[in-house]
Amino acid sequence: MVYEFKLPDLGEGVAEGEVLKWMVKEGDSIKEDQPLVEVMTDKVNVQIPAPRTGTISRILAKEGDMAKVGQIIVVIDDGSAPPASPPTPLPAPQQALSLPPQSPPVQPGPDILATPATRRLARELGVEIGTVRGSGTLGRITDDDVRGAASPQPKVAAQAPAMQSQEPRAPAQEQRVPTQGAKEEVVALRGMRRTIAEHMAKSKQIVAQVTHVDEADLTDLVQLREAFKGSAAKRGVRLTFLPFIIKALVPALKEFPYVNSSMDEASGNIILKKYYNIGVATDTPQGLVVPVIRDVDTKDIFDLAGEIEKVAVRAREGQLTLEEVKGSTFTVTNVGAIGGLFATPIVNYPEVAILGLHKIAKRPIVRGGRVEVRDMTYLSLSFDHRVFDGSYAARFATRVIEMLQDTKKLLAEVV
Amino acid sequence: MRQADVTVIGAGPGGYVCAIRAAQLGLATIIVESDKLGGECVNYGCIPSKSLITVSRLYDKVREGEKFGLTASKVNVDFTQLQKWKSEVIDKLVAGVEFLLKGSNATILMGEAEIVGRGKVRVTTLDGVEEIETKNVVIATGTKSVQLSGLEFDGRVVIGSKEALELTDAPMKLLVVGGGAIGLEFASMYQKLGSEVTVVEIMDQLMPGSDPEVVRVVQRKLEAKGGKVHLKSKVLSVTKTDHGATVAVETPEGGFLLDVDKVLVSVGRKPRTEKMNLEAIGVLTNSAGFINTNEKMQTNVPGFYAVGDVRGPPLLAHKASKEGVVAAECMAGMKSAADWKVIPETVFCDPEVASVGLTEAKAVQAGYNVKKSRFQFAALGRALSTGEPEGFVKIVSKAEDGLVLGVQIVGPDASNLISEVALAIEMGATVEDIALTIHPHPTLPEAIMEAAETASGRPIHQLKT
Repeated sequence: MVYEFKLPDLGEGVAEGEVLKWMVKEGDSIKEDQPLVEVMTDKVNVQIPAPRTGTISRILAKEGDMAKVGQIIVVIDDGSAPPASPPTPLPAPQQALSLPPQSPPVQPGPDILATPATRRLARELGVEIGTVRGSGTLGRITDDDVRGAASPQPKVAAQAPAMQSQEPRAPAQEQRVPTQGAKEEVVALRGMRRTIAEHMAKSKQIVAQVTHVDEADLTDLVQLREAFKGSAAKRGVRLTFLPFIIKALVPALKEFPYVNSSMDEASGNIILKKYYNIGVATDTPQGLVVPVIRDVDTKDIFDLAGEIEKVAVRAREGQLTLEEVKGSTFTVTNVGAIGGLFATPIVNYPEVAILGLHKIAKRPIVRGGRVEVRDMTYLSLSFDHRVFDGSYAARFATRVIEMLQDTKKLLAEVV
Repeated sequence: MRQADVTVIGAGPGGYVCAIRAAQLGLATIIVESDKLGGECVNYGCIPSKSLITVSRLYDKVREGEKFGLTASKVNVDFTQLQKWKSEVIDKLVAGVEFLLKGSNATILMGEAEIVGRGKVRVTTLDGVEEIETKNVVIATGTKSVQLSGLEFDGRVVIGSKEALELTDAPMKLLVVGGGAIGLEFASMYQKLGSEVTVVEIMDQLMPGSDPEVVRVVQRKLEAKGGKVHLKSKVLSVTKTDHGATVAVETPEGGFLLDVDKVLVSVGRKPRTEKMNLEAIGVLTNSAGFINTNEKMQTNVPGFYAVGDVRGPPLLAHKASKEGVVAAECMAGMKSAADWKVIPETVFCDPEVASVGLTEAKAVQAGYNVKKSRFQFAALGRALSTGEPEGFVKIVSKAEDGLVLGVQIVGPDASNLISEVALAIEMGATVEDIALTIHPHPTLPEAIMEAAETASGRPIHQLKT
């Protein structure tokens, strides 16, 4: 029998994945659970094992193709039926293979207001035209409506399956094709680069982004960290500033709930999150990934430091699972490691705010009428102006800075 | 042994279009035809019947020309010349099909095809037997006339539509059994060519399923010209005589005997699938033997497609052709599907009838809040000046928003008028859209605009009801 293997549900919010690499080719035999294909989903790679033993009859999703969850990606013949074309005698009818479709063609009803060309577009993009909400007169479905429906939409909740994740390969490298003139080089947008590109562009398209910048005096925090370094080392963790900053965020996020929210455009609701999962933007050789530190309000700085260190290593090694990059409610990004005064980070959609951290440097600051040398940093808060206004953002940022500057208060939070 | 990606069986409007498109898409394509390229449509259906119908109308118009001031001393129908001209029309189109197939690099095999297994087709040609190994098979073998027991075709007196197109004279008395589209086209045509026509239909109206208001216009015209229509009636027996036959007809009013020269039986069509070995391959059909497919024209057996009449009613060439395109595109890996909303239908009786989308009855049945609006050709300048004022345009729309659900036209050139409204429905147009579109004057399509204006409550050329 021929088995049509569909791209399985890869976990929360994943509607599609890019086929990175087939471990088999057509005609190969394969054993159940043997690595079959590597698929790239939202920033992590998943290696999917063979669902059964057999021969690969046809590979339907080629490397570089985007495959939707539920789409048939490979046909495996498990050899339990006679070969498709016996010498001369006709195959008995009961052995006839049934293709899935046996319902008669359904014609679109008169109420589906989409032109024939729009209906064709929907078909080509794999969109069920009857499910598209038309934006035009009488609910007329436009090409744009169809394209909108075709882009993956975040689903809510779903268990991520246990899948081995696999080291992502550097994007594009093998895909380079020199153009005729050799003055330009064509690099295919593949893998993680494509995911990042789509994600960033989507955020910029949807979010009404504004960046608020302020500075913070971290002189006391620098000392506080020094004081804690010893006990951190005893616990085997390296203490950076990040755990302190995350802890400083918690009371501010609780006080300003709209910063820890997301907007559901479809229903026109703002969802306030009563849990605090902080995404930590992490630079890796393959590109930017955002592993998530969950429930930071319940963890102390040593736990946080340990976790951050662990996911950073896993991120660099491409070992992150889907579960580890999903579900953040607010993101911090350290953009000051290489240089620059401050940057305006892009909101990690569907979140509504992101905090940019920058280098801590000694600068002359006027305090009490005197110039002092202090450990200063800039903080940039990019936020979605659809969800809250600049004054709200400024008050939130001020609250975070207060926490960072007032180590007594912070101390109450960090341990 | 020949190798192919696609083997199309049957070169009618479904098959040949499929083969052209498949070949255009780079698939190695073989098309097999046992009779003539172009199939039923070009050779024994649409094209020859329209050729004869055109001449019958011309003849009729000239004979009735006196009221327009047109007198002709002697007008005769030379059937030999008429048949010759008809054949020339057919030959041109057959040559055109061959030209297109060859030009697209499809291979034509003339012979009888038989499916002998998955991916295996055997073709018996004049030169011997050819075996084809093919990735896909498209069954486009169409249909043939249903024969009634006691009314078997004899090629002389009891005939089917194919023979009715080959007659060398108009029968004095013609009995048409079956008042559907084909039966009525022949009834109108031979009536104009001089036959005394009787139509026997078993259902309670001609063209069952059509809008009764529309059918009434056709029946009235047929009867006004001396024809007889018997509804809820059937032929009990046919006794052959020297010159024709004596037919016993049973009607609700009682039975009677009728002497006729020819009996044309057009009571339906059945799929032509004997050589397709459907059962052995496992291809599923419905109870009437028509092949089941999905919207991609795929049967339940991988590699087997079916397009056109062999899939079942409505049996229409234009539908078959579109299905052929869909099948070819799917075989080439494109995301194609039959997703049209409507399929227009035309009947070349007198006056012509054309319909697209829902009739009033079907729209009500489907639960729509229906608004109907009509415009009579009798109030239209161009219809009067053509001398064909019978009939009307009827628009069935949604009462709430004016969305066009269906249009029925009975009247002059209805077959050419219907495409405008087919497009309107596919585009999701409302009656307002049609009403606000300027239609040139004086033309027949103005009737559609007028009916739409009536539907939107702003009629000019008829009074508000």
